[in-house]
Amino acid sequence: MTTPGVDARSEAAENRFATETIQSGAVTARTPPQLFWGRLRRDKVALCALGFLVVLALIAIFAPLIVHLAGVPGPNEPDKSTLDSFGLPTGPSGEHPFGVDGIGRDVFARTVYGARVSLEVAILATALSVGIGVIAGMFAGFYRGWVDTAISRGIDVLLAFPILLLAIGIASACSFGRGGSSGCLGGSVKPGLALVILVIAFVNWTYMARIVRGQVLSLREKEFVEAARSLGASKTRIIFREILPNLVAPIIVYTTLIVPQNILFEAALSFLGVGVQPPQASWGKMIADAQGSFDTAWWFMVFPGVALLLTVLAFNLIGDGLSDALDPRSDR
Amino acid sequence: MSRHVWRVLALAVAALTALTWSACGGGDAATGIGAGAPAKGKKGGTLNALFANDLEHIDPGEAFYQPDYMMVFAVHRPLYSFEPTNLEVASPDLAAAPPKLSDGGRTVTVKLKPGVRYGPPVNRTATSADVKYAIERAFTAAVPNGYAPTYFGIVEGAPEPGRKKPTDIKGIETPDEETIVFRLSESSGAFIKALSLPITAPVPEDYAKRYDAETPSQYATHQAATGPYMIEAGKDGRITYEIGKRMTLVRNPNWSAATDFRPAYLDRIELTMGNEDTTVAARQILKGKGLINGDFPPDPPVIKEAVQRRKSQITFAPLGNRYISLNTKVKPLDDVNVRKAIVAASDRNALRLTRGGPIVGDLATHFLAPGQPGFEEAGGMKGPNLDFIQNPDGSMALAAEYMKKAGYASGRYTGSETLTMVGDDSGVGARTAEVFQSQLQKLGFEVDFRQVPHDTMFSKFCNVPEARVAVCPNVGWLPDFADGQAWFDPTFSGESIVPENNSNWPQLDFPAINEAIDDAKKITGQARRDKAWGKIDRMVMAQAPAVPWIWDKQANIASSDVQGAIARWNAQWDLSFTSIK
Repeated sequence: MTTPGVDARSEAAENRFATETIQSGAVTARTPPQLFWGRLRRDKVALCALGFLVVLALIAIFAPLIVHLAGVPGPNEPDKSTLDSFGLPTGPSGEHPFGVDGIGRDVFARTVYGARVSLEVAILATALSVGIGVIAGMFAGFYRGWVDTAISRGIDVLLAFPILLLAIGIASACSFGRGGSSGCLGGSVKPGLALVILVIAFVNWTYMARIVRGQVLSLREKEFVEAARSLGASKTRIIFREILPNLVAPIIVYTTLIVPQNILFEAALSFLGVGVQPPQASWGKMIADAQGSFDTAWWFMVFPGVALLLTVLAFNLIGDGLSDALDPRSDR
Repeated sequence: MSRHVWRVLALAVAALTALTWSACGGGDAATGIGAGAPAKGKKGGTLNALFANDLEHIDPGEAFYQPDYMMVFAVHRPLYSFEPTNLEVASPDLAAAPPKLSDGGRTVTVKLKPGVRYGPPVNRTATSADVKYAIERAFTAAVPNGYAPTYFGIVEGAPEPGRKKPTDIKGIETPDEETIVFRLSESSGAFIKALSLPITAPVPEDYAKRYDAETPSQYATHQAATGPYMIEAGKDGRITYEIGKRMTLVRNPNWSAATDFRPAYLDRIELTMGNEDTTVAARQILKGKGLINGDFPPDPPVIKEAVQRRKSQITFAPLGNRYISLNTKVKPLDDVNVRKAIVAASDRNALRLTRGGPIVGDLATHFLAPGQPGFEEAGGMKGPNLDFIQNPDGSMALAAEYMKKAGYASGRYTGSETLTMVGDDSGVGARTAEVFQSQLQKLGFEVDFRQVPHDTMFSKFCNVPEARVAVCPNVGWLPDFADGQAWFDPTFSGESIVPENNSNWPQLDFPAINEAIDDAKKITGQARRDKAWGKIDRMVMAQAPAVPWIWDKQANIASSDVQGAIARWNAQWDLSFTSIK
């Protein structure tokens, strides 16, 4: 995206923007958000991606309405009349625009409902991992010493974990088992979306923590921190009021890069049978169900696959766009 | 006991394929081969059987699964064995005539054919002492046999299984080389049928002893054949069997056609393992030459293709049943009316479509499968006269009535219990489970559905009463031989409930049924036996401990130049009767 040509053009545009402001007579300093928005809205690709995600979010929120309007059955209603006499599913048709899956469920309805799962994971798991990561990173970077050692070594240990195996292990250990017990910790941990979100958060905060720690290490030596300290500001105040605002840009950029990872991770876990539990629809689960019959019934892998691809791509493009807009000098 | 259905199911799942079976009476109208008596074939030629997985066992003392039997019955000769079209009465094989019963059925005398000889390197005549040794070694830890205690435990002096060394069983006598006498502690109809299991194939003690001294026994890779074929031997005397890759069967030079009912047309049979992509393998078979399927059934798309365009290359062999067990010890399924409501609500047509539709089986209305002794007595195709199993698409109205009888005024389940259900995590089994889950939800149940691999489903959940799984949607039964006892004793007798490896999945423990099973076991007359087991089937169904939904027909395919014969008792190709056109 950032070819030299584009850079030159955007600089020219910025100059024009500045000139226009001067000509209008009112010279006002632009706030960082204004600068950011000014740059972002010139990035057509990122804007398209953003538009796509807004539509996707609307689809997820209004999934029941959309399925109703499309006149297709709900996502968990198998209809045997849509299968032929060999039990094989029928492809896209007027009644079922995306065809039906192996037991006669509407693929369109399932793809639409699948968006809910992906976005839930995208928002909740990312929020959790970013929250943990930022706090851990700031404390490690600011306090240094044994706090830093403990957190950094903890991160090293977590990074060495085989994550998929961990997730599969938790899922199989915390399912229902002997004596009719259900889940671990009194039933609070069992296979399902909540577990997926927890596992992702548990694993993914480490990247954010490392980045934040690095930034804080250099920020804490800056003059404004010195100044705050000499004015007698408390450590909490310095961390949250002085340092944190300076971390917003990297946090936003890395957050948008974590999101697509998390969506793919959910898909992988559901594909492996650890994620959402049947009959709930998730794109990863739909792809897993379809893998045995791809050569004869392409539609129930292709539609959720395309949806997953577009969503992940959109998040990645927005991530790029944001990082350009927040820090145009960044050399990528 | 009958573990081979598990194996079959596991294979099906592993290969993401449909295992398929179906209706009564020899073959299907849609297909040509396998129906009726096998046609006479041409001598000579090489056949290649494609397997997805390795054979589980090749030692006649351990063989237990369908693919094992396919190979073992071409290489070994038990006392009795089944001709391809006969499901009910085994023909004398190593034995010269049917067994003679005396002493009220407690003494069973079998005469052996003279002149049945082992292939190299043993090259001698098989004797009654070899049969005795074959049974004795099956009680050792070196030769883990799945059914020895079940059927041969009633022989006087039979030890507990898992012995360190073969011990002399006093109840098996060999007055001369061609006579073997079994003394039983009680009369048993099943014992006589069990003489057709491969445990009775002779094993030469003098030769096998040193291999059996190791645990596990090494006899499997040094075995001596009595059947028309033997595993090809290398220069060192060991068989040339590449585990997981291939095994070659060649003619046994010491086999005499005069002593055997097997025509043994083929000169050479290759078993090729490791065809994990079963769709590709199935297409190879349909389009290739000299190929048959070994351990895997073709997937529904291939079945469809074959039925529509290559009818003469596919055949369907009826076999066992499949059902969804409802745990009678778990709330709210402990209420018979709730179970009847669930059976009534079950759409068996929708369930059957998950496996491949009408071509792969008949809708089950009770447990004993078509063609099995006692089937007509149990109600035949129409089933017992019970309203809740009448409607093949399920009846929500009737289900609601039964729910009301159970105390749920709305006709839907309104209690607080969640039903735990454990089923397959892939393949057709997963589809069946999801369809059934949606049917339970229609009745108002909340379902906690755990998906696991097929063998885990059994070993950790459905076979373990302590796991308290309410619904096991992927179980089924394939009896050791065609007899009511092999169908009902392990699956619905309260006395069969054990803490591990339990196969009474609904944990049905109904005194009248237990008593009827105990009485029926002792009956030796076939007609009376059939009647008794047919009645037991009706008694079990009246308790609604499960939703029987299909009597499978297993699909088997062959290349166009293969004249195949299906062993109906095993629902797979019979290598000794198959030929190349």
